Amino acid sequence: MSAGLDLEQRYRRVLRLLPGYYRDVWAEDMVAAFLDSWLTGDLDDDEAIMEFCRPTWPEIASVVCLAARLYLGGACTPRRYFAWGQAVRRAVLAVALVHAVVSLGTLLLLAWTRHVFSWLPASPAGLVIATPGGFVPPAVWYGVYYAWIVVFVALVLGHYRTARVIAVLAIIPNLEWLLQSQFTGAIASPALGPWAFWVLINLVPVLAMAAFHRDAPPTARWPWLLALPAGYLLVEVPWLAVQLTGNSAWLPDHSGLFCFLVALACLAHAPRALSRKNAGSGVWSLTLTLLAALAGAYRIASISDYRHDPHLIKVSLAELLILALAVALVAPDAARAQTATPVPPSYPQLA
Amino acid sequence: MAAKPMTGQAFFVLTALADGPCHGYGIVGEVAELSQGHVKLKIGSLYGVLDRLAVEGLIEPDREEAHDGRLRRYYRLTRDGRRALAAEAELRAATARVVRARLGVAGAEATG
Repeated sequence: MSAGLDLEQRYRRVLRLLPGYYRDVWAEDMVAAFLDSWLTGDLDDDEAIMEFCRPTWPEIASVVCLAARLYLGGACTPRRYFAWGQAVRRAVLAVALVHAVVSLGTLLLLAWTRHVFSWLPASPAGLVIATPGGFVPPAVWYGVYYAWIVVFVALVLGHYRTARVIAVLAIIPNLEWLLQSQFTGAIASPALGPWAFWVLINLVPVLAMAAFHRDAPPTARWPWLLALPAGYLLVEVPWLAVQLTGNSAWLPDHSGLFCFLVALACLAHAPRALSRKNAGSGVWSLTLTLLAALAGAYRIASISDYRHDPHLIKVSLAELLILALAVALVAPDAARAQTATPVPPSYPQLA
Repeated sequence: MAAKPMTGQAFFVLTALADGPCHGYGIVGEVAELSQGHVKLKIGSLYGVLDRLAVEGLIEPDREEAHDGRLRRYYRLTRDGRRALAAEAELRAATARVVRARLGVAGAEATG
């Protein structure tokens, strides 16, 4: 792969992972430090080292981590990277919010069916809280629901490490269920929808939590915390009401719901995005564009599960069209938010 | 807004520069020695810390020296860096005194 290159060139190739503004200041010194860690001062040994040695995986990993922190930047990075960092952080919060709202709804329903709220009328006989099953007992699934609420609140309150650890634990049962279902034939093969849900709505947001690093500015707490009960009242309660009145056929599936929610958010944000007077709207536009890409990919992947039902394929395509039209309203503003801008004057000029 | 607490890595890097300027790989060695091998900085991590400390104005470049045909950049503490390191060392020492007192370890009487 890197035949013909010497060790210095191999390190320079690894450092290309870093943003240009950062390389301008630090790359030469980093290369010198990398080589210092190898070279012995003996001419023959050093010649062999330069020719045959390669950057180690831990060294490459440390550069990848640094690159992630810089591209998903904090306040002291160029505006483009700060915009990306903020957009990814908000997109992760939005996905965690959806998980938390669904989890809150499920746990409240569970409490209702177990008569925890004695002042409420008894729950309808047909109302059953179904868990995916498999080797994972229902109690673990309830723990997963609870975990997503904790993950969301921990992210908002700035407990990033706690949120990351709990989120990783929360996505494991779903993976176990998927693997078990695949191997036992419980889900049809190929079933892209469940896998797309796990990869796009579980794994990708957990990986993107890398954007919540030490340099990330604190999250606006109250708007996000209030979004949890608001989301429950505006999405979960109407959803449940439609189900209980026997009109479930009107409800979209998970990926359709994601498309509708993102499309509604784009429409709500469009007046700000289209008015160029709002300088701060671009990061939200970029956030919505990222969420639209996620929802669109999930919708496209899960269409294949309806290959025997032309009507549902048409519904899925209509959802995609609505999402595409809505995101088109905010996409130009998102593009403006990430235009290259100079390094902030506060950035040290060491070179 | 309150200043963020200093990380262990930043504390060791500033300490490595306390008695004079040092270059990148020299700092890695100093930190390993100061921490008795507990903190082994990777180069990527080191330059993440140096970048942050430079942005905060706690370190600055001192000079560049040629070594084996390459330039090594030396870094030094700024006045703010020296002040921040002294404050952090005092905080850690006070915490250590409290811990030793609670554990009843010898030397805890120094807490008064």
